This record gives sequence, C-alpha cells and structure tokens, in this order.
Amino acid sequence: MIDLRDVSFALENKIILNKISLQINEGITSVILGPSGAGKSSILKIILGLWKPDSGEVIIDGHKTGKLSENEMLPIRQKMGMVFQGNALFDSLTVEENIAYFISQKKHLDEIEIRERVEKVLSFVNLSGTEKLYPEELSGGMKKRVAIARALSFWPQIVLFDEPTTGLDPINSKTILELINKLKEIKTTSVVVTHILNDALFIGDKLTVINDGSIVETGTIKDILNSTDKFVNNFFYEVYKDVDLINKHIQ
Amino acid sequence: MSFLKKIIIKLQEYTFFQVDVIKHIDSFKDNWQDTLKEMYLIGTKAFLLIVLGGLFTGIILAIEIGHQLELFGATTLIGRTVALGMVRELGPVITGLLLAARTGAKNSSELGAMQLSEQIDALRAFGISPIQKLVIPRIVASLFMFLPLTLIADTSGILGGFLISNFTFNVDISFFWTSVFNALKMKDLFVGFLKPFFFAYFISSISCYYGLTTKGGTSGLGMNTINAVVVSSAVVLVLDFIFTKVVWELL
Repeated sequence: MIDLRDVSFALENKIILNKISLQINEGITSVILGPSGAGKSSILKIILGLWKPDSGEVIIDGHKTGKLSENEMLPIRQKMGMVFQGNALFDSLTVEENIAYFISQKKHLDEIEIRERVEKVLSFVNLSGTEKLYPEELSGGMKKRVAIARALSFWPQIVLFDEPTTGLDPINSKTILELINKLKEIKTTSVVVTHILNDALFIGDKLTVINDGSIVETGTIKDILNSTDKFVNNFFYEVYKDVDLINKHIQ
Repeated sequence: MSFLKKIIIKLQEYTFFQVDVIKHIDSFKDNWQDTLKEMYLIGTKAFLLIVLGGLFTGIILAIEIGHQLELFGATTLIGRTVALGMVRELGPVITGLLLAARTGAKNSSELGAMQLSEQIDALRAFGISPIQKLVIPRIVASLFMFLPLTLIADTSGILGGFLISNFTFNVDISFFWTSVFNALKMKDLFVGFLKPFFFAYFISSISCYYGLTTKGGTSGLGMNTINAVVVSSAVVLVLDFIFTKVVWELL
C-alpha cells in the first residue's frame, strides 16, 4: 500500500533520511521506532507529501507521489489522515468546528451530514459532548483524541500518527493506544512513529527501527526482539529488563 | 552561508511566494468570511491608532511650520502646507509605518505560531492551501482597508493642523480651510491615494512570508516578527521615496 524505495532527504545540508526502503501493508499497524532526531517524523511528512524526497520513490496505492505538485497530491491525501505530535488544532475554533472544517474541505456534505459525522467520530474517541469546547479547555489526552477524531472524520484508508502518546500520562496513553488498536477493526492502515518501546509492542504488527536516517531492523515484534544488532539491543534495553513482556511476545 | 547568499535565497523564496499569491489572488471570494474578519482586525481595530497618529503628526507639523511662517507674517499658509504635507507624504507614510508595525507583527506572529504548532502542515495535509486560506485574505483585506485608513490619517492630520493654526496662531477658520482646498490638486490626491495600495500589498505579503517561513521555536518566532516589521517599514520608506522622486516627476 505504501512503498518507500531508496528515499533520501536532506534539510539545510543535514542528511535526514539515507536511502530508506520500507513497505507498509494494508490493514495493519506499522510502527516506526527510533531515538529523537532519527528521522521518524520526516518519513510521515514524506508519505503525506509535505516534504519531497531528494531521491528515491514514494509509491502510495500504486501512485508515485515523490514529484507530484500540491494539487496533484490532493486525491492521494484524501486517503490519508494525520495526527500531529502537537495535535495542530486551531485554537480559535471549537472542537466541532475543528473537525467540521476539515470534513467540509474533503467531502461535499450538507450541514446536517457534517454534524452527524462530527458526533460519530467524537463518539468513536469517547468525547461526545465536547463539541462546543475550545482546545484550551481540554486536557492533553482530550486534545489528542480530538486530533484523532479530526484525522478519522472522513474515514481515511491510512492514518499517520506522529508520537501519539508523548507527554501524556499512562492512563491517557493507554486510551490513545486502544483507539489505535480499534482502528484495525475498521481495516484502517496505521503508521505510528514513536520512541516509546512499550507503545510499539502494544500496538505494532510490524516494527521498523531507524537510527541516523537509516533503517536498522524491520520485522515482526518477535524478529526485532530476537535481533542481534547492537543498536537494537541497546535501544530495547529497557524492554529486555522486563522479562515477562519479552517472553510473552517470543512465545 | 554568507550574508549575501542568504539575502539572495530569501529574495528568491519571496519571489516564488509572490507568484503563488498572484496566481491565486481571486480565491479570496471562496474565503470571503476570512477576508471580512481580517478587514475588521486590520482596518477597523486600527482606527484609533491611525486617528491619533494622524492627529499628532498634523499638530506637530503645524507647530513647526507655524513658527517659521510667523517670522514672515505668513501664518495663513499653515493650512496649505499641512494639507499638502499630510496628503502627499506624511499621511500615507505614517499610516504605512504604523500598519507595518501593527499588521506586520500580527501577520508574522500569527502565521509563525501556526507554523511552529504544525497547523500550517495540518492545513496542507488536509488539502487546504495555506496561501489561499491564510495569506490571500490578509493581503486582500489590507488592500481594501489601507486607503480608508490613510484618508482618516490625512483628515485627522489636517484637523490637528487646524486646531494649532486657530488656537496658537490665530488663523481664521475660513482662511485655513480655503487655503487647504485651494492647495490640493488632483495630482496630490492621486499620488497620496495610490501609495496605500502598494504599502498594503508589500506590508501584508512580506509579513505573511516571514510568518510562513518561521523556524527555530519561540526565539525564531520573535526574530521573524522583528524582521517582518523592520523589512516592511524599510519597504514603506523606500517605496515612498520612489513615489516622491520618480512618480511625482513623471506626472
């Protein structure tokens, strides 16, 4: 479904991604793991076409998107929703308006249909009744759930999550992760970028570990936990300490 | 990177940005609500500032000129001098400089904050052009509002001049106003009323460009806001010189 082939990208002479090749399959949750500054978020921005790769190919649903203009990218972006790390909610709009605004730009629905859609996605993220609140009146976890509701508002085939639980308490993190797992039930492809190992193990069907803009290891949780790569072993040190968790996945 | 190279790159980026703006300038019709909102924020809300700016400029101009003309017993010329000074030069320039500070800071900091909090990326991700949604309404609103604001500054300045000439230099009311209306020719009005359109376009486009290219966190936002105001103010002064020297001589 999403295929990155030898993608390289540099920003102000600094290499961010170095010949990355990555396949993301339909209907599963793929997690891109790595330390801060490894280039994880850049992969999402390249998939979404916000950044253009310097070389290599990005293929989404059979369409090469690497060199498409903003207008040509529109039909491809119709298939994708994105949850930004900082949520990127519009402060001057209510929760309802934040979601409705984007639905009205993507789908030609009348006001009643839009309102119904807003209620439906807010109920999906357990935030019914918050329609008239402004983002500043919400907690961090609620803001994140509104951002998820907005990304899901037009039922995209692919949802991209940039560090979805960073800065949240364990209870809110669990709620968000459960929502991501819930997306599998509606056959949505999720791509999640995170540096939190337990999150990756909780939601990931396929993990990709990257460091310094290059892929170190990719595979199932079992493959990654059995990896002999030194960086992967160091990165997973915290997890290795939790023997029960490792045994559970290896078995 | 050398300082000169940085300037050339900025100019190149700004040129591409202008091309994009001009190509889509008619899109303000689709975002007319945003345009109206900006007209209120840029225009109506600046009313008091412009009245005060114009009034005190006229007062100071009348005091300075009045003392000189008094030496020759020609205080009846205060009205003529203040009117020409305000309509041709000081009215547009004071309005331009005040709005470069007010509108320039507003546009640059608003768009800069949106850029840093990924709201601009969110718009693009959902298929909405930030140029059409955010930049063009601001430019069009400025184009509509700068002329009335300049007229208000001119009128306030002349009124300020009248107060001084009447109460300080004892010039008769009818002398003052006759000298004002006799002094102003079509050419003066044309040049004085043409300047605000150019000031409006450059102040709003420069400040929006700086806002959209913000990076480097809060300090970057502060720096970009300063740069937007400084560059806009400098452009106002340079454009005023061009109008005074070149356009005035051509007409």
